[in-house]
Amino acid sequence: MNGLTGGSTSVAAPACALPAGRGRTAPGTVLRVSDLTVHYRSRRGPVHAVTGVSFELRPGETYGLVGESGCGKTTLVNALLRLLPDAAQIAGGEAILRGEDLLSLPERRLREMRWKHISLIPQSAMNSLDPVYRVGDQLTEVLRAHGRVTREQARTRVADLFGLVGLDQRRALDFPHQFSGGMRQRAVIAMALALSPDVVVADEPTTSLDVIVQAQILGHLREIQNARDGAMIIVSHDISVIAGICDRIGVMYAGQLVEEGATERILNQAEHPYTMGLRNAFPALDLDDEKDLLAIPGTPPDLVSPPSGCRFRPRCPFALRVCAEAAPPALSRPDASRVSCHRADEAGQLRRLAARQETWLVRGEE
Amino acid sequence: MRPISTRNGFWRFLLRRVAFGLLTLFFLASLLFVLFHVLPGDPFSMYFDQGFSQQAIDELMHRFGLDKPWWQQYLLYLRNLLRGDFGMSFQYYKPAIQVVGERFWATIALMAASLAIAFGLGVIGGAWMAWRRGTPAEKALGVVALIVRCAPVFWTGMILLSLFSFRLGWLPLGGLRTPGQPITGQWSRFFSLDFLHHLFLPALTAGLFALANPLLVMRSSMLEVVKEDFIRLARAKGLSERAVMLRHAMRNALLPVVTLLAVMAGTAIGGIVLVETVFRWPGMGREIVMAVRARDYPLARTSFFLIGALIVFFNLAADLLYGYLDPRVSRD
Amino acid sequence: MRSILDALATDRLGLAGLVLFGIFLALALIAPIAAPYDPMALNYHPDGSLVRMEPPSREHWLGTTRMGRDVLSQLLMGTRPALFVGVVSAVFVVGIGTHVGLVAGYFGGWVDDLLMRITDLTYGIPFLPFALILAAILGPGIQNMIIAIALVSWRGTARVIRSQTMSLRNRPFVEAARVAGAGHWRIIYRHLLPNVAPLALVYLALTMGWAIMTEASLSFLGYGDPRLVSWGKMLYDCYSSQAMFSAWWWMVPPGLAIALLVLSGFLMGRSYEQIADPRLVQ
Repeated sequence: MNGLTGGSTSVAAPACALPAGRGRTAPGTVLRVSDLTVHYRSRRGPVHAVTGVSFELRPGETYGLVGESGCGKTTLVNALLRLLPDAAQIAGGEAILRGEDLLSLPERRLREMRWKHISLIPQSAMNSLDPVYRVGDQLTEVLRAHGRVTREQARTRVADLFGLVGLDQRRALDFPHQFSGGMRQRAVIAMALALSPDVVVADEPTTSLDVIVQAQILGHLREIQNARDGAMIIVSHDISVIAGICDRIGVMYAGQLVEEGATERILNQAEHPYTMGLRNAFPALDLDDEKDLLAIPGTPPDLVSPPSGCRFRPRCPFALRVCAEAAPPALSRPDASRVSCHRADEAGQLRRLAARQETWLVRGEE
Repeated sequence: MRPISTRNGFWRFLLRRVAFGLLTLFFLASLLFVLFHVLPGDPFSMYFDQGFSQQAIDELMHRFGLDKPWWQQYLLYLRNLLRGDFGMSFQYYKPAIQVVGERFWATIALMAASLAIAFGLGVIGGAWMAWRRGTPAEKALGVVALIVRCAPVFWTGMILLSLFSFRLGWLPLGGLRTPGQPITGQWSRFFSLDFLHHLFLPALTAGLFALANPLLVMRSSMLEVVKEDFIRLARAKGLSERAVMLRHAMRNALLPVVTLLAVMAGTAIGGIVLVETVFRWPGMGREIVMAVRARDYPLARTSFFLIGALIVFFNLAADLLYGYLDPRVSRD
Repeated sequence: MRSILDALATDRLGLAGLVLFGIFLALALIAPIAAPYDPMALNYHPDGSLVRMEPPSREHWLGTTRMGRDVLSQLLMGTRPALFVGVVSAVFVVGIGTHVGLVAGYFGGWVDDLLMRITDLTYGIPFLPFALILAAILGPGIQNMIIAIALVSWRGTARVIRSQTMSLRNRPFVEAARVAGAGHWRIIYRHLLPNVAPLALVYLALTMGWAIMTEASLSFLGYGDPRLVSWGKMLYDCYSSQAMFSAWWWMVPPGLAIALLVLSGFLMGRSYEQIADPRLVQ
């Protein structure tokens, strides 16, 4: 597991809907997201897919964004890349990269920033490559789009990138359908690194791959991040994927960031009940414990009208009356981790309870 | 058009298509033979009529084995076909193949021009329709194209002729070129302004008739392609919207349109026959109509076969073009 | 039947097509009574001269031809051969095509290969020249026209029905029938045919439109049935008597009629297609 890399600690921002400080990023922060809110239009009314999310990305760090499907993590990163579908709308917030707010960039500047400073490893590499062009040409295309390169320079760069991800450089002349699923994933990773961006967003990079290939890809990502100066955000619903290669983890639930901290801290000293539950669902992380798989009963809330107070309250075994009445406060800890929970100070005890199966079968007081 | 998985790539794909093309030609030739020999009527009347001298008749009887059993006639027929010998035209008293040969390029020019118009306008229009989806302008274009498609092509031709040629005088009344115009060489035969002036209206008529299909196919193809993941990634790469649309979306959206080209090459011929008749364009289509009317069977057969060969060729070309454009089909 | 009507009713364009078709059908039925004159009769002025090439007037709502015939009467009577050829050919075409498609799709293997090769081969036959040659050999006439159409046009239907059959043949209900001991033909006719019928009907409507166009084309080229008054023949007369530049009343209506009837077929086919094949709905 990697320790924290680079940069000095920045001023921690609150995790929930409290306003964050606006303006330029402090030194040592590559990307500063403040209060990002995204709505989807739907027949029943606006869906609050992402509500007031704030976090900071440090240079060179690998940040994991974890949560079950529907928690808003993919919407969040799509908003950063401005790739939201028409029905979605950025309702508020900022995302400052290199002194500019990604969310409000004009078309032209957006195009310049895209890929050069923030790139994407998409969720389905299967279909992310254009079937009628050779793979190498698609990489070259992005090199050309952002500056002048001679054919020779492009070829060299493509060869280097292929090497970085473990692809035979002769395959650059092949078409995407001639690549296996794992190879396509690697190609897409190579493409994302082509311009050495400040931030690479990997959206579920190993979903739809078999376990062995998954491990290989994760291994490559780790090596790449070690060798690279840029930061990476890895989005996944699978905490074991995140745990292996991330420096810090942000846990999302129902459109909000409920906890954030160094990987070690999140895994072993979680302070939010949801994180505790999530942890239990992936016993693979503990080699010596033999725990049963504990799924968190219940389903995520309806985001058209989310629960009052804390959004996790209906599924939380430790919920108190205050949890329904007031939104949980955003707390920052001395080690720069953050959590939003009314009972965060009791985390030690709650963790012990959370480890037991029975706890999750009975809900707390409402 | 079934995709083939082949280790040897493009060439094997090509060879297989060519082989099938040749098989189709063989089938066409045999079909002609069957039609003329099996159906009621005097089989001899196919090769000569009263106007022929006894010497000519004897020669034909020998060459085509008309006094021999049918299967021998068939073999001789095929042999002569390979030599390009289709018999003598009754009307022109020249080898039928020669007469049709003179008409061949006129038809090619007309077909090429009208398909270019239909597919050129169709691809651009279809992409535009996808881009402007839902607007009244888009719906209007769809409706207009549809109505033109449902109207008989010869009628559209008559109307255009009436309007642009007769009433407005902008374009000629028909024919290949203005009578009396000197032909200064092969080049000026087909690329002179006069020729193009005469080609315009018939090509436009046939092109507009055929327009609706590529237009609508391109439109729906674009709408499908634009939803694809690789389009999303292309945008994320910071490519301009124009590059995304032209280089990625259209290129992929073209594939079904090319398939359409193969199918339409066959049906376009029907339109060509009618357009050539209305505009008195001296091509193979008009020739076959006149030959049938005059009961000039050798000429009719030859025209039919060559038209069929043209279709086979177009189908083949479209197949190969598709194989080239979509590497999934032709390569491993 | 119910679902067909439902489908047509829900789609406005399909409904329009149906109504349009209905109008033509009604006109065809009442044509002999509705036509003000005998379409082939020459009309004379009171002073004995021929009512030649007259523009629309009170006596002749759509004017007259060069031979003095009433255009409106010809137009009305023309509905009959159009609909007859259209519907009968379409039935034959779809009948042949559906059978070929079912057999090829169901049996698969060499049967499918063979039938599909034959279908592919027919794509090389240029239709109009073929119809002309047949007309030359068999003589002009409405039945020969229908034969020509039926012999060549089944290929589109066959292809499509084959695809659908192939996707249906592995469905549970077919398996159940097979297990219950049903023979191949029984499965094809009892179980598969009703399921491909909607798609076949789509092609029926589309083919009808196309057959009408073909009849008009052949008549325009001079190979129509000489005993009948058809729209194509009207245009043939108009063109060959060099009247098209002056007698717009003679030139425009027949073409318009053809366009509208073909349009109705297309609208009906297309709208049902959207229901029959949900993948096509956007």
